[in-house]
Amino acid sequence: MGAVFDIDVVVPYLPDLASGLWVTFRLGVISVALGVVLGLLLALARLSGTRLLAWPAYLYIELFRTTPPLVQIIWFYYGLPPLTGIELDPFGAAALALGLNIAAFFAEIFRAGVEAVPATQWQAAKVLGLGRLDTLRSVILPQAARLVLPPTGTTVIYLVKGTALASAIGAPELLRVGQLVALETFRPVEVLTVIAIAYFVLTYPIALAFMALERRVARARA
Amino acid sequence: MTRQLRLSVRQLVKRYGTTTVLDGVDLDVAAGSALVIIGPSGSGKSTLLRCIARLEPIAAGTIMLDGKYVASSERYGQAKLVAAHDIGMVFQSFNLFPHLTVLDNLTLAPRRVLGLDRDEAETRAREMLHTVGLAEKAEAYPAKLSGGQQQRAAIARALMMRPRLMLFDEVTSALDPELVGEVLKVMRTLSREGMTMLVVTHEMGFARDVADDVVFMDHGRIVERGPPEQLFAAPQEPRTRAFLSRLLDRDGKE
Repeated sequence: MGAVFDIDVVVPYLPDLASGLWVTFRLGVISVALGVVLGLLLALARLSGTRLLAWPAYLYIELFRTTPPLVQIIWFYYGLPPLTGIELDPFGAAALALGLNIAAFFAEIFRAGVEAVPATQWQAAKVLGLGRLDTLRSVILPQAARLVLPPTGTTVIYLVKGTALASAIGAPELLRVGQLVALETFRPVEVLTVIAIAYFVLTYPIALAFMALERRVARARA
Repeated sequence: MTRQLRLSVRQLVKRYGTTTVLDGVDLDVAAGSALVIIGPSGSGKSTLLRCIARLEPIAAGTIMLDGKYVASSERYGQAKLVAAHDIGMVFQSFNLFPHLTVLDNLTLAPRRVLGLDRDEAETRAREMLHTVGLAEKAEAYPAKLSGGQQQRAAIARALMMRPRLMLFDEVTSALDPELVGEVLKVMRTLSREGMTMLVVTHEMGFARDVADDVVFMDHGRIVERGPPEQLFAAPQEPRTRAFLSRLLDRDGKE
């Protein structure tokens, strides 16, 4: 193993790393999509005022945010088949576990956003005859959306980086590919440096997109 | 000519925990009349409006609008329940929807609740904005408007539903003094055009000019009711006299 930092040794493996990045990207998109949809449903269930909906949502959220995502990923890969007969490949198990996990965090963010909209907005809608669902859809959620944009952006970035946990069950994502390349080249530092840059290239545009979104919403109501 | 009864409140009781805020209120409002409610803070006047708007559950009594139930401790069928948009309400803090333009604030409920299409709703909204003097502000967001303009937009939004009763809850209390007049002017016009209204206010000049009757409330009860010239000049109840003299002395003069 050479003593100098020599990034050139990674070059022949760039196509492999690119395919790993592509898997990471897909893993991120699928789990964010699952997380946002499920998170919104969970938040609405908690806010429904109906115990039958609020309690299961509360239990779900606490269960998923208090146990490590790595444990959840491993559990969905090795635990699901004997318990349910459902067998998932590493990619599927990781996407499901990460999506279900992040849904708990989105749920709490969205709930806080809805609760931060003043009660007087509900009252103004009610005296106009608007029902609860119309009020939620057209009055409350658009205002909550503005409030939740910053924490949502942070959570999305957190999750995209968190997809690296899928390497533990062998999903062929960026870190996993990197580990294999490092084993082959005996150059873990160089490989991990390239990987860190690749994560940055993937997540920084997300940060920029959320910043642009915030600016747009702020302009619309100024 | 006796006017048709629009609103009737019977033995209305409202409690917050063990505190009784409304203690058996009876109130009749004739169609087309304007009633001004005055009274010290904590007398229950705002709570009365909020019960009539169904923003607060009631403990006992009955509220009816044109013979249909608004709220009641009696049992009644859905068929006899008044539609929510038949009673309009304007708040002290305007409560416009900040993420929508003035025009969209006005058209949202008519489109969703009354089923108007966008063109119908916008035509009605632009007429309404014209009558409250905000025709040029249709595309503006509420944050760009002065308090007086926001309150006029809120009144226009409520009128879009063509309510049969309008409730005004201290609608000028949050305004700078120089903006009060433009809001009261809109309310005056509305009353002249025959809108039935229930107004909680500290604007005694408005009460004198516009009210058919003034109601004095204290401790969750209606103490006295009468035409403004009578109630202001010769109040019958000691509590009314005390309240009015405090009000007249509030600039500190002896």
